[in-house]
Amino acid sequence: MDNSLRVCQPTPEDLAWLGTAPIPAAPYYDPDYFALEQEAVFRRTWVHIGHISELPELGSYIVRPYEACDLSVLITRNSQGELQAFHNVCPHRGTQLVTELSGKRTRFTCPYHGWTFSNQGHLISAPDFDNFFLDDKDNCGLTGISIDECGGLIFINLDQSPKQDLRSFLGPFAGVLDNLAPAQASEFDEYEYEIAANWKVNYDNFQENYHLRFIHNRTGAAILSKENPFGYASDYSFWGPHRSQSLQKPTQPFTPEPVQGLAFAKAQALDTLPGGKADCKIFPNLFVVGLTNYVFTHTITPLSHNRSRGVFRVYRIGEAQSASQRFAREYTTASLRDVHVEDRAIIERGQRGLQGRSLTHINFQLHEALCRHLFNEVDSRVQAFKQQLAEEKIHD
Amino acid sequence: MTDQTGLLPPGFEALEPFVEGWVLTSSSERTAKRVQSDDDERRAFYEVGKNLAEEALAFLDQKSMSDFDDKEKRLMELMLSLVHASLAVEVQKSSELLHRQASIHLQYIETSDV
Repeated sequence: MDNSLRVCQPTPEDLAWLGTAPIPAAPYYDPDYFALEQEAVFRRTWVHIGHISELPELGSYIVRPYEACDLSVLITRNSQGELQAFHNVCPHRGTQLVTELSGKRTRFTCPYHGWTFSNQGHLISAPDFDNFFLDDKDNCGLTGISIDECGGLIFINLDQSPKQDLRSFLGPFAGVLDNLAPAQASEFDEYEYEIAANWKVNYDNFQENYHLRFIHNRTGAAILSKENPFGYASDYSFWGPHRSQSLQKPTQPFTPEPVQGLAFAKAQALDTLPGGKADCKIFPNLFVVGLTNYVFTHTITPLSHNRSRGVFRVYRIGEAQSASQRFAREYTTASLRDVHVEDRAIIERGQRGLQGRSLTHINFQLHEALCRHLFNEVDSRVQAFKQQLAEEKIHD
Repeated sequence: MTDQTGLLPPGFEALEPFVEGWVLTSSSERTAKRVQSDDDERRAFYEVGKNLAEEALAFLDQKSMSDFDDKEKRLMELMLSLVHASLAVEVQKSSELLHRQASIHLQYIETSDV
Protein backbone atom coordinates (compact mmCIF):
# COMPACT_ATOMS: atom_id res chain seq x y z
CA MET A 1 0.00 0.00 0.00
CA ASP A 2 1.24 3.47 -0.89
CA ASN A 3 2.61 5.07 2.24
CA SER A 4 1.57 8.62 1.48
CA LEU A 5 -1.33 10.34 3.18
CA ARG A 6 -4.38 11.30 1.17
CA VAL A 7 -4.55 15.02 1.91
CA CYS A 8 -7.97 16.57 1.35
CA GLN A 9 -9.00 20.19 1.33
CA PRO A 10 -12.25 20.81 3.20
CA THR A 11 -14.30 21.00 0.01
CA PRO A 12 -17.25 18.83 -1.07
CA GLU A 13 -15.21 17.69 -4.10
CA ASP A 14 -12.16 16.62 -2.15
CA LEU A 15 -14.16 14.76 0.52
CA ALA A 16 -16.84 13.27 -1.76
CA TRP A 17 -15.25 9.81 -1.52
CA LEU A 18 -16.39 9.58 2.11
CA GLY A 19 -20.05 9.95 1.11
CA THR A 20 -22.57 12.56 2.15
CA ALA A 21 -25.59 10.55 3.30
CA PRO A 22 -26.84 10.71 6.89
CA ILE A 23 -25.31 8.03 9.11
CA PRO A 24 -27.47 5.38 10.84
CA ALA A 25 -27.84 6.18 14.54
CA ALA A 26 -28.11 2.61 15.86
CA PRO A 27 -24.35 1.89 15.73
CA TYR A 28 -23.96 4.57 18.41
CA TYR A 29 -26.27 2.95 20.98
CA ASP A 30 -27.21 -0.59 19.93
CA PRO A 31 -25.83 -3.46 22.09
CA ASP A 32 -26.03 -5.88 19.13
CA TYR A 33 -23.91 -3.59 16.99
CA PHE A 34 -21.40 -3.27 19.80
CA ALA A 35 -21.15 -7.07 20.07
CA LEU A 36 -20.24 -7.14 16.37
CA GLU A 37 -17.66 -4.36 16.86
CA GLN A 38 -15.99 -6.36 19.61
CA GLU A 39 -15.43 -9.22 17.18
CA ALA A 40 -14.87 -7.32 13.95
CA VAL A 41 -12.71 -4.52 15.37
CA PHE A 42 -11.43 -5.02 18.89
CA ARG A 43 -10.50 -8.70 18.59
CA ARG A 44 -8.54 -8.29 15.37
CA THR A 45 -6.94 -4.84 15.32
CA TRP A 46 -3.75 -3.44 16.86
CA VAL A 47 -4.81 -1.53 19.97
CA HIS A 48 -2.64 0.68 22.21
CA ILE A 49 -2.34 -0.67 25.75
CA GLY A 50 0.80 0.70 27.43
CA HIS A 51 4.13 2.50 27.30
CA ILE A 52 7.62 1.02 27.37
CA SER A 53 8.47 2.98 30.53
CA GLU A 54 5.99 0.78 32.40
CA LEU A 55 8.29 -2.21 31.77
CA PRO A 56 11.71 -0.65 32.39
CA GLU A 57 13.75 -3.77 33.24
CA LEU A 58 14.22 -7.40 32.31
CA GLY A 59 11.59 -9.25 34.33
CA SER A 60 9.21 -6.27 34.56
CA TYR A 61 5.56 -7.07 34.05
CA ILE A 62 2.25 -5.24 33.96
CA VAL A 63 -1.33 -6.44 34.06
CA ARG A 64 -3.87 -4.37 32.14
CA PRO A 65 -7.58 -4.81 31.62
CA TYR A 66 -8.64 -4.90 28.00
CA GLU A 67 -12.18 -3.89 28.74
CA ALA A 68 -13.23 -3.72 25.09
CA CYS A 69 -13.26 -7.53 25.15
CA ASP A 70 -13.72 -8.03 28.87
CA LEU A 71 -10.35 -9.63 29.43
CA SER A 72 -7.08 -9.12 31.30
CA VAL A 73 -3.67 -8.98 29.64
CA LEU A 74 -0.31 -9.90 31.18
CA ILE A 75 2.63 -8.14 29.51
CA THR A 76 6.19 -9.17 30.37
CA ARG A 77 9.69 -8.12 29.42
CA ASN A 78 11.53 -11.43 29.13
CA SER A 79 15.20 -12.17 29.79
CA GLN A 80 16.07 -11.21 26.19
CA GLY A 81 14.44 -7.84 26.74
CA GLU A 82 11.55 -8.61 24.41
CA LEU A 83 7.97 -7.75 25.19
CA GLN A 84 5.49 -10.61 25.35
CA ALA A 85 1.76 -10.56 26.02
CA PHE A 86 -0.56 -13.27 27.26
CA HIS A 87 -4.11 -13.78 28.30
CA ASN A 88 -3.84 -13.42 32.08
CA VAL A 89 -5.48 -16.79 32.52
CA CYS A 90 -4.23 -20.14 33.83
CA PRO A 91 -4.89 -22.76 31.11
CA HIS A 92 -5.77 -25.36 33.74
CA ARG A 93 -9.27 -24.10 34.51
CA GLY A 94 -9.26 -20.46 33.55
CA THR A 95 -8.36 -18.78 36.83
CA GLN A 96 -7.02 -15.25 36.52
CA LEU A 97 -3.29 -15.69 37.05
CA VAL A 98 -1.90 -12.35 38.28
CA THR A 99 -3.76 -9.67 40.22
CA GLU A 100 -0.94 -7.18 40.95
CA LEU A 101 -0.95 -4.36 38.38
CA SER A 102 2.83 -4.29 37.95
CA GLY A 103 6.09 -5.56 39.35
CA LYS A 104 9.20 -7.55 38.60
CA ARG A 105 8.99 -11.32 38.44
CA THR A 106 10.11 -14.05 36.09
CA ARG A 107 7.64 -16.68 37.30
CA PHE A 108 3.93 -16.60 37.91
CA THR A 109 2.13 -19.18 40.02
CA CYS A 110 -1.60 -19.73 39.86
CA PRO A 111 -2.95 -19.56 43.41
CA TYR A 112 -5.62 -22.20 42.74
CA HIS A 113 -3.56 -25.39 42.05
CA GLY A 114 -0.02 -24.15 41.85
CA TRP A 115 0.67 -24.23 38.11
CA THR A 116 3.79 -22.12 37.54
CA PHE A 117 4.70 -20.29 34.33
CA SER A 118 7.81 -18.48 33.11
CA ASN A 119 7.57 -14.88 31.91
CA GLN A 120 7.84 -16.34 28.41
CA GLY A 121 4.56 -18.16 28.97
CA HIS A 122 5.90 -21.72 29.36
CA LEU A 123 4.45 -24.06 31.96
CA ILE A 124 7.40 -24.83 34.25
CA SER A 125 5.68 -27.04 36.78
CA ALA A 126 2.23 -28.32 37.67
CA PRO A 127 1.66 -30.40 40.82
CA ASP A 128 0.66 -34.01 40.11
CA PHE A 129 0.80 -33.39 36.37
CA ASP A 130 0.86 -37.16 35.64
CA ASN A 131 -2.80 -37.40 36.59
CA PHE A 132 -3.79 -35.08 33.74
CA PHE A 133 -4.69 -36.59 30.39
CA LEU A 134 -2.13 -34.38 28.71
CA ASP A 135 0.97 -35.46 26.82
CA ASP A 136 3.45 -32.87 27.85
CA LYS A 137 3.79 -29.48 29.46
CA ASP A 138 4.86 -27.80 26.20
CA ASN A 139 1.24 -27.56 25.12
CA CYS A 140 0.09 -26.10 28.41
CA GLY A 141 1.60 -22.62 28.25
CA LEU A 142 -0.18 -19.30 28.56
CA THR A 143 -2.19 -18.22 25.54
CA GLY A 144 -0.18 -15.62 23.66
CA ILE A 145 -1.37 -12.29 22.37
CA SER A 146 0.41 -10.49 19.52
CA ILE A 147 2.40 -7.51 20.80
CA ASP A 148 4.62 -4.85 19.26
CA GLU A 149 5.85 -1.36 19.96
CA CYS A 150 6.17 1.79 17.90
CA GLY A 151 7.58 5.07 19.17
CA GLY A 152 7.48 3.77 22.74
CA LEU A 153 3.77 2.94 22.52
CA ILE A 154 2.86 -0.70 23.10
CA PHE A 155 0.08 -2.26 21.02
CA ILE A 156 -1.57 -5.66 21.25
CA ASN A 157 -3.66 -7.61 18.79
CA LEU A 158 -5.88 -10.47 19.95
CA ASP A 159 -5.59 -12.01 16.51
CA GLN A 160 -2.81 -14.56 17.04
CA SER A 161 -1.67 -14.18 13.44
CA PRO A 162 -2.49 -10.57 12.56
CA LYS A 163 -3.03 -9.78 8.90
CA GLN A 164 -0.48 -6.97 9.14
CA ASP A 165 2.41 -6.31 11.47
CA LEU A 166 2.12 -3.15 13.55
CA ARG A 167 4.24 -0.90 11.32
CA SER A 168 2.37 -1.97 8.18
CA PHE A 169 -0.88 -1.28 10.01
CA LEU A 170 0.29 2.19 11.07
CA GLY A 171 1.63 3.09 7.62
CA PRO A 172 3.00 6.63 7.48
CA PHE A 173 2.02 7.22 11.11
CA ALA A 174 4.73 4.76 12.27
CA GLY A 175 7.43 7.20 11.20
CA VAL A 176 5.62 10.07 12.91
CA LEU A 177 5.40 8.16 16.20
CA ASP A 178 9.11 7.26 16.00
CA ASN A 179 9.97 10.94 16.32
CA LEU A 180 7.62 11.99 19.11
CA ALA A 181 8.38 12.31 22.84
CA PRO A 182 6.86 8.95 23.92
CA ALA A 183 9.70 7.23 22.03
CA GLN A 184 12.14 8.72 24.56
CA ALA A 185 9.98 9.38 27.62
CA SER A 186 10.67 7.65 30.94
CA GLU A 187 7.45 8.80 32.62
CA PHE A 188 4.13 10.49 31.91
CA ASP A 189 1.32 12.36 33.64
CA GLU A 190 -1.98 10.54 33.49
CA TYR A 191 -5.65 11.20 34.11
CA GLU A 192 -8.74 9.25 33.18
CA TYR A 193 -12.50 9.36 33.15
CA GLU A 194 -15.42 7.06 32.71
CA ILE A 195 -18.35 8.26 30.71
CA ALA A 196 -21.86 7.13 29.85
CA ALA A 197 -21.21 7.31 26.13
CA ASN A 198 -20.60 4.91 23.29
CA TRP A 199 -16.91 4.87 22.37
CA LYS A 200 -17.54 6.39 18.93
CA VAL A 201 -19.74 9.17 20.32
CA ASN A 202 -16.89 9.91 22.69
CA TYR A 203 -14.13 9.61 20.08
CA ASP A 204 -15.97 11.80 17.56
CA ASN A 205 -15.99 14.71 19.97
CA PHE A 206 -12.21 14.84 19.72
CA GLN A 207 -12.04 14.75 15.94
CA GLU A 208 -14.09 17.78 14.97
CA ASN A 209 -13.52 21.48 15.71
CA TYR A 210 -17.16 22.48 15.09
CA HIS A 211 -17.89 22.35 18.85
CA LEU A 212 -14.92 24.44 19.97
CA ARG A 213 -16.57 27.85 20.00
CA PHE A 214 -19.54 26.54 21.96
CA ILE A 215 -17.88 24.24 24.47
CA HIS A 216 -14.38 25.72 24.79
CA ASN A 217 -15.07 29.44 24.58
CA ARG A 218 -12.84 30.01 27.63
CA THR A 219 -10.02 27.53 27.11
CA GLY A 220 -9.99 27.44 23.32
CA ALA A 221 -10.80 30.99 22.28
CA ALA A 222 -7.32 31.61 20.90
CA ILE A 223 -7.83 29.63 17.69
CA LEU A 224 -11.16 31.25 16.73
CA SER A 225 -11.03 34.28 14.43
CA LYS A 226 -13.22 36.44 12.24
CA GLU A 227 -11.88 34.61 9.17
CA ASN A 228 -12.27 31.16 10.73
CA PRO A 229 -15.02 31.56 13.35
CA PHE A 230 -15.23 27.83 14.10
CA GLY A 231 -11.49 27.23 14.17
CA TYR A 232 -11.78 24.58 11.48
CA ALA A 233 -8.75 22.65 10.29
CA SER A 234 -7.35 23.70 6.91
CA ASP A 235 -6.97 20.13 5.69
CA TYR A 236 -7.88 16.55 6.56
CA SER A 237 -5.65 13.59 5.77
CA PHE A 238 -6.32 9.88 5.56
CA TRP A 239 -4.36 6.69 5.29
CA GLY A 240 -6.10 3.33 5.55
CA PRO A 241 -8.28 3.40 8.66
CA HIS A 242 -6.29 6.26 10.27
CA ARG A 243 -6.71 9.98 9.89
CA SER A 244 -5.30 13.36 10.81
CA GLN A 245 -6.11 17.04 10.70
CA SER A 246 -3.96 20.13 10.51
CA LEU A 247 -3.55 21.76 13.90
CA GLN A 248 -4.70 25.33 14.18
CA LYS A 249 -2.39 28.08 15.31
CA PRO A 250 -3.71 30.84 17.55
CA THR A 251 -4.91 33.58 15.25
CA GLN A 252 -5.66 36.33 17.69
CA PRO A 253 -3.05 38.38 19.47
CA PHE A 254 -3.03 36.69 22.83
CA THR A 255 -2.12 38.40 26.08
CA PRO A 256 -1.69 35.75 28.74
CA GLU A 257 -2.72 36.20 32.35
CA PRO A 258 0.16 36.47 34.86
CA VAL A 259 0.55 32.85 36.02
CA GLN A 260 -0.43 31.54 32.60
CA GLY A 261 2.23 33.69 30.95
CA LEU A 262 4.87 32.54 33.42
CA ALA A 263 3.99 28.88 32.83
CA PHE A 264 3.99 29.28 29.03
CA ALA A 265 7.38 31.01 29.12
CA LYS A 266 8.88 28.29 31.30
CA ALA A 267 7.45 25.54 29.08
CA GLN A 268 8.80 27.29 26.00
CA ALA A 269 12.25 27.65 27.51
CA LEU A 270 12.55 24.25 29.17
CA ASP A 271 10.28 21.79 27.37
CA THR A 272 10.34 22.61 23.68
CA LEU A 273 10.27 19.20 22.03
CA PRO A 274 11.96 18.03 18.88
CA GLY A 275 9.71 16.37 16.31
CA GLY A 276 7.35 19.26 15.71
CA LYS A 277 3.58 19.18 15.80
CA ALA A 278 1.71 16.05 14.85
CA ASP A 279 -1.84 14.79 14.83
CA CYS A 280 -2.46 11.05 14.61
CA LYS A 281 -5.90 9.54 14.96
CA ILE A 282 -5.03 5.87 15.01
CA PHE A 283 -7.82 3.38 14.33
CA PRO A 284 -9.77 2.33 16.23
CA ASN A 285 -9.45 4.26 19.50
CA LEU A 286 -6.20 6.19 19.94
CA PHE A 287 -5.23 9.83 19.54
CA VAL A 288 -1.59 10.90 19.58
CA VAL A 289 -1.19 14.66 19.52
CA GLY A 290 2.26 16.24 19.38
CA LEU A 291 2.36 19.85 20.52
CA THR A 292 5.28 22.21 21.06
CA ASN A 293 5.79 21.45 24.76
CA TYR A 294 4.30 18.01 25.21
CA VAL A 295 2.76 15.04 23.47
CA PHE A 296 -0.45 13.53 24.71
CA THR A 297 -2.19 10.26 23.97
CA HIS A 298 -5.88 9.71 24.55
CA THR A 299 -7.20 6.16 24.42
CA ILE A 300 -10.95 5.57 24.41
CA THR A 301 -11.86 2.05 25.43
CA PRO A 302 -15.41 0.78 25.14
CA LEU A 303 -16.81 -0.71 28.34
CA SER A 304 -20.19 -1.56 26.82
CA HIS A 305 -22.48 -0.27 24.06
CA ASN A 306 -23.05 2.98 25.97
CA ARG A 307 -20.06 3.35 28.32
CA SER A 308 -16.42 4.07 27.68
CA ARG A 309 -13.23 5.01 29.48
CA GLY A 310 -10.78 7.65 28.35
CA VAL A 311 -7.17 7.66 29.47
CA PHE A 312 -4.93 10.65 28.82
CA ARG A 313 -1.16 10.40 29.11
CA VAL A 314 1.06 13.45 28.80
CA TYR A 315 4.66 12.86 27.76
CA ARG A 316 7.82 14.98 27.81
CA ILE A 317 11.43 13.91 27.52
CA GLY A 318 13.19 13.14 30.81
CA GLU A 319 12.22 13.94 34.36
CA ALA A 320 11.79 17.56 35.39
CA GLN A 321 15.25 18.96 36.18
CA SER A 322 14.22 22.13 37.96
CA ALA A 323 11.42 23.78 39.90
CA SER A 324 10.51 25.85 36.85
CA GLN A 325 10.27 22.83 34.62
CA ARG A 326 8.17 20.98 37.20
CA PHE A 327 5.90 24.04 37.49
CA ALA A 328 5.49 24.30 33.71
CA ARG A 329 4.60 20.62 33.45
CA GLU A 330 2.03 20.84 36.23
CA TYR A 331 0.51 23.77 34.35
CA THR A 332 0.40 22.21 30.88
CA THR A 333 -1.13 18.96 32.15
CA ALA A 334 -3.69 20.75 34.34
CA SER A 335 -4.72 23.14 31.57
CA LEU A 336 -5.07 20.26 29.09
CA ARG A 337 -7.20 18.47 31.65
CA ASP A 338 -9.40 21.56 31.98
CA VAL A 339 -10.20 21.43 28.28
CA HIS A 340 -11.23 17.80 28.64
CA VAL A 341 -13.37 18.57 31.67
CA GLU A 342 -15.41 20.82 29.39
CA ASP A 343 -15.85 18.03 26.84
CA ARG A 344 -17.08 15.27 29.09
CA ALA A 345 -20.43 16.72 30.10
CA ILE A 346 -21.58 17.52 26.59
CA ILE A 347 -20.59 14.07 25.29
CA GLU A 348 -22.81 12.38 27.89
CA ARG A 349 -25.65 14.63 26.86
CA GLY A 350 -25.14 13.48 23.27
CA GLN A 351 -25.47 9.86 24.32
CA ARG A 352 -28.59 10.54 26.38
CA GLY A 353 -30.24 11.98 23.28
CA LEU A 354 -29.39 8.99 21.12
CA GLN A 355 -30.19 6.33 23.68
CA GLY A 356 -33.99 6.52 23.37
CA ARG A 357 -33.90 5.62 19.67
CA SER A 358 -35.46 8.99 18.82
CA LEU A 359 -33.37 9.30 15.68
CA THR A 360 -32.88 6.90 12.83
CA HIS A 361 -29.96 8.89 11.48
CA ILE A 362 -27.40 11.49 12.52
CA ASN A 363 -25.71 14.06 10.31
CA PHE A 364 -22.06 14.91 9.76
CA GLN A 365 -21.08 18.10 7.95
CA LEU A 366 -18.01 18.66 5.77
CA HIS A 367 -15.81 19.51 8.75
CA GLU A 368 -16.96 16.37 10.56
CA ALA A 369 -15.31 14.32 7.83
CA LEU A 370 -13.13 12.46 10.31
CA CYS A 371 -16.21 11.26 12.23
CA ARG A 372 -17.68 9.99 8.98
CA HIS A 373 -14.43 8.24 8.16
CA LEU A 374 -14.38 6.45 11.54
CA PHE A 375 -17.95 5.26 10.98
CA ASN A 376 -17.10 4.06 7.47
CA GLU A 377 -14.06 2.15 8.70
CA VAL A 378 -15.92 0.51 11.59
CA ASP A 379 -19.01 -0.29 9.58
CA SER A 380 -17.13 -1.86 6.68
CA ARG A 381 -15.49 -4.25 9.18
CA VAL A 382 -18.80 -4.99 10.92
CA GLN A 383 -20.56 -5.67 7.61
CA ALA A 384 -17.72 -7.91 6.40
CA PHE A 385 -17.86 -9.84 9.68
CA LYS A 386 -21.63 -10.27 9.37
CA GLN A 387 -21.13 -11.54 5.84
CA GLN A 388 -18.52 -14.00 7.09
CA LEU A 389 -20.91 -15.25 9.79
CA ALA A 390 -23.66 -15.71 7.22
CA GLU A 391 -21.35 -17.69 4.94
CA GLU A 392 -20.21 -19.90 7.81
CA LYS A 393 -23.85 -20.63 8.61
CA ILE A 394 -24.53 -21.76 5.03
CA HIS A 395 -21.56 -24.13 5.13
CA ASP A 396 -22.57 -25.69 8.46
CA MET B 1 -3.90 28.64 66.27
CA THR B 2 -0.50 27.28 65.30
CA ASP B 3 2.47 29.54 64.78
CA GLN B 4 3.12 29.41 61.04
CA THR B 5 6.17 31.65 60.88
CA GLY B 6 9.29 30.15 59.45
CA LEU B 7 7.53 27.50 57.40
CA LEU B 8 8.87 28.91 54.13
CA PRO B 9 12.28 30.23 52.99
CA PRO B 10 13.00 33.89 53.90
CA GLY B 11 11.41 36.36 51.51
CA PHE B 12 8.24 34.34 51.05
CA GLU B 13 6.57 35.14 54.38
CA ALA B 14 3.55 36.56 52.57
CA LEU B 15 2.66 33.03 51.53
CA GLU B 16 2.76 31.62 55.07
CA PRO B 17 -1.02 31.91 55.64
CA PHE B 18 -1.58 29.57 52.69
CA VAL B 19 0.74 26.79 53.84
CA GLU B 20 -1.97 25.03 55.79
CA GLY B 21 -4.48 24.82 52.96
CA TRP B 22 -2.35 24.68 49.82
CA VAL B 23 0.78 22.65 50.55
CA LEU B 24 -0.31 19.38 48.94
CA THR B 25 1.75 16.52 47.65
CA SER B 26 -0.06 15.33 44.53
CA SER B 27 -1.86 16.67 41.49
CA SER B 28 -5.07 14.95 42.52
CA GLU B 29 -4.98 16.62 45.94
CA ARG B 30 -4.31 20.00 44.31
CA THR B 31 -7.24 19.49 41.94
CA ALA B 32 -9.46 18.46 44.83
CA LYS B 33 -8.43 21.61 46.73
CA ARG B 34 -9.29 23.76 43.74
CA VAL B 35 -12.72 22.12 43.57
CA GLN B 36 -13.39 22.43 47.31
CA SER B 37 -12.11 25.97 47.85
CA ASP B 38 -14.48 28.90 47.59
CA ASP B 39 -13.86 31.92 45.39
CA ASP B 40 -12.49 34.12 48.16
CA GLU B 41 -10.05 31.53 49.45
CA ARG B 42 -8.76 30.78 45.97
CA ARG B 43 -8.44 34.39 45.02
CA ALA B 44 -6.64 35.33 48.22
CA PHE B 45 -4.00 32.68 47.55
CA TYR B 46 -3.81 33.56 43.87
CA GLU B 47 -3.33 37.29 44.47
CA VAL B 48 -0.34 36.77 46.75
CA GLY B 49 1.01 33.80 44.78
CA LYS B 50 1.03 35.44 41.37
CA ASN B 51 3.24 38.26 42.59
CA LEU B 52 5.79 35.92 44.13
CA ALA B 53 5.75 33.07 41.61
CA GLU B 54 8.55 34.26 39.37
CA GLU B 55 10.77 35.03 42.33
CA ALA B 56 9.95 31.73 44.04
CA LEU B 57 10.80 29.67 40.96
CA ALA B 58 14.06 31.58 40.43
CA PHE B 59 14.95 30.89 44.06
CA LEU B 60 14.07 27.19 43.84
CA ASP B 61 15.85 26.77 40.50
CA GLN B 62 19.16 27.31 42.29
CA LYS B 63 18.93 23.84 43.81
CA SER B 64 18.22 20.36 42.55
CA MET B 65 14.69 19.37 43.58
CA SER B 66 15.96 16.26 45.32
CA ASP B 67 18.01 18.49 47.66
CA PHE B 68 15.08 20.67 48.82
CA ASP B 69 14.71 21.08 52.58
CA ASP B 70 11.24 21.11 54.12
CA LYS B 71 10.77 24.85 53.63
CA GLU B 72 11.78 24.71 49.99
CA LYS B 73 9.60 21.71 49.42
CA ARG B 74 6.61 23.58 50.86
CA LEU B 75 7.31 26.54 48.61
CA MET B 76 7.52 24.23 45.59
CA GLU B 77 4.23 22.60 46.47
CA LEU B 78 2.61 26.00 46.92
CA MET B 79 3.75 26.92 43.41
CA LEU B 80 2.22 23.72 42.07
CA SER B 81 -1.05 24.51 43.84
CA LEU B 82 -0.91 28.01 42.39
CA VAL B 83 -1.12 26.37 38.96
CA HIS B 84 -4.54 24.96 39.85
CA ALA B 85 -5.81 28.05 41.64
CA SER B 86 -4.73 30.21 38.69
CA LEU B 87 -6.59 28.07 36.16
CA ALA B 88 -9.76 28.77 38.13
CA VAL B 89 -9.12 32.51 38.60
CA GLU B 90 -7.43 33.41 35.30
CA VAL B 91 -9.09 31.07 32.80
CA GLN B 92 -12.43 29.77 34.06
CA LYS B 93 -13.24 32.96 35.98
CA SER B 94 -16.97 33.09 36.78
CA SER B 95 -17.52 29.73 35.11
CA GLU B 96 -15.44 27.90 37.71
CA LEU B 97 -18.53 26.80 39.64
CA LEU B 98 -19.92 25.05 36.58
CA HIS B 99 -16.51 23.74 35.61
CA ARG B 100 -15.83 22.12 38.93
CA GLN B 101 -19.01 20.07 38.82
CA ALA B 102 -17.63 18.41 35.70
CA SER B 103 -14.07 18.34 37.01
CA ILE B 104 -14.61 15.57 39.54
CA HIS B 105 -15.06 13.03 36.77
CA LEU B 106 -11.48 13.33 35.51
CA GLN B 107 -9.15 11.62 37.96
CA TYR B 108 -5.40 12.01 38.07
CA ILE B 109 -3.54 8.71 38.24
CA GLU B 110 -0.41 9.45 40.27
CA THR B 111 2.86 8.24 38.89
CA SER B 112 5.54 10.60 40.16
CA ASP B 113 5.82 13.79 42.14
CA VAL B 114 8.38 16.11 43.69
